[in-house]
Amino acid sequence: MPTPTDVVEALLFASDTPLEAERIREVLELGDTDEARALVDELRVRYEKEDRALAVVEVGGGYRMVTRPQIAPWLMRLAKTRTKARLSRPALETLAIIAYRQPVSRPEVDAVRGVNSEGVLDSLLERRLLRVAGRKEAPGRPFLYETTREFLVAFGLRDLNDLPKVEGELVIPEVGVAPNGQAQAEQDPGPGGADVTARS
Amino acid sequence: MTTASSESPSSNLLTLRVGQFEGPLDLLLHLCRTNEIDLAALPVRAITDQYLAHLEALEFQDLETAGAYLVMAATLIYLKSKLLVPPDENDEQLDEEGEALRHELEERLREYARIKVLGSWLAEQEAQQALVWGRTGSELPPPDDVPLEDLSVHQLERAIKRLISEQARRRPREVQPEPMSLLERMTEILTVLRDTWSLLFSSLTGGERRRPEIVVTLLAVLELVRLGRIRTQQTELFGDIVIERREDGPGDNVPLTADSDLQGGTTVADSH
Repeated sequence: MPTPTDVVEALLFASDTPLEAERIREVLELGDTDEARALVDELRVRYEKEDRALAVVEVGGGYRMVTRPQIAPWLMRLAKTRTKARLSRPALETLAIIAYRQPVSRPEVDAVRGVNSEGVLDSLLERRLLRVAGRKEAPGRPFLYETTREFLVAFGLRDLNDLPKVEGELVIPEVGVAPNGQAQAEQDPGPGGADVTARS
Repeated sequence: MTTASSESPSSNLLTLRVGQFEGPLDLLLHLCRTNEIDLAALPVRAITDQYLAHLEALEFQDLETAGAYLVMAATLIYLKSKLLVPPDENDEQLDEEGEALRHELEERLREYARIKVLGSWLAEQEAQQALVWGRTGSELPPPDDVPLEDLSVHQLERAIKRLISEQARRRPREVQPEPMSLLERMTEILTVLRDTWSLLFSSLTGGERRRPEIVVTLLAVLELVRLGRIRTQQTELFGDIVIERREDGPGDNVPLTADSDLQGGTTVADSH
């Protein structure tokens, strides 16, 4: 007789999208989602103890069965590729803007980047990392964009709260600073001034 | 400073490649970083000169990108001019305007710097995820109710566009292989016969040979018989033709073209 943990293992194996605790509860007819989570944890412990090639991770609001990073060299050989396709720098920065400010329209994205983002947005929509969230009630009624679950999965995030918090707001200087155009490096806390710390 | 590491600070700024920058803000930020400038105290004069120097070195792919760079250049020049002209005490409004502009520019730069840091954080996350494989397709039947929140009009639009373009695309024309010339075929048969005493006609026309080739092969065989180079036998009606080498015939040194009427790349046109 399979144990509930065995069933959870099979459910995760059969799913191609992150499996929510609620769905596990539903399928196994459990009392609440905490029970479902406990079963997943049990499975996770089992994998870790046995040093298995698979692991259970929590991404995109659900659980997912994935291979361990240590297995990557063999999988790449199997796939006959050296790396998976990666996003370009403009694409990543556009995603960052949208992830933090969603829902956000293209003009707003353009304003932050200082360039037209149409092409980048299109390819991100194509890859389903973004979706249209509606229209902004502004002149031209531009589309509003937001990130998708695929975005969370692609970047290994449980939810948007997993995004790092942006710290290090710089104090806006007083009027008339740097009239001689000299770089004031001595008080420089580092250009950019934005520090990123991953939320634990 | 995660992003700074990706751009090597260069003392000779004008050697920077075209296309290294994503936009005017990116260029400006780069200038600030290479000069170790605090964004909070943007030295407008120095940065304007450097920015304009870069602008001359850049090549633009399209007008819109060029425009974005030029707008930034105009802003910088305006701000610089404000610094050069002694403040007019009678016109405070103009002063405030310049200050607000400068303020806004600094704000935007700072915001952009933040986004760059976040972008590289995402890149690191992506790199980690690249080492991990999960199921991408499931053999489970699709659920009865497709979650509509994952769909958008854009997908419908793309589907339609794809359909239309597929319809519009013309089917590839079938290219006929150029039929072998009679002379080539004759040479081929003789070459095979050099190593063996006899061969079957079917072995010459087997495989994926097409009808015109079979015709050429038959003509080649007939021609070789006429020239006395080979002998053929057919033991039964519609049976396979056995082709044999004729030792008593003229030797290999006699060129095939010598008295062949059908020489010179004569081909048989496709009979279809």
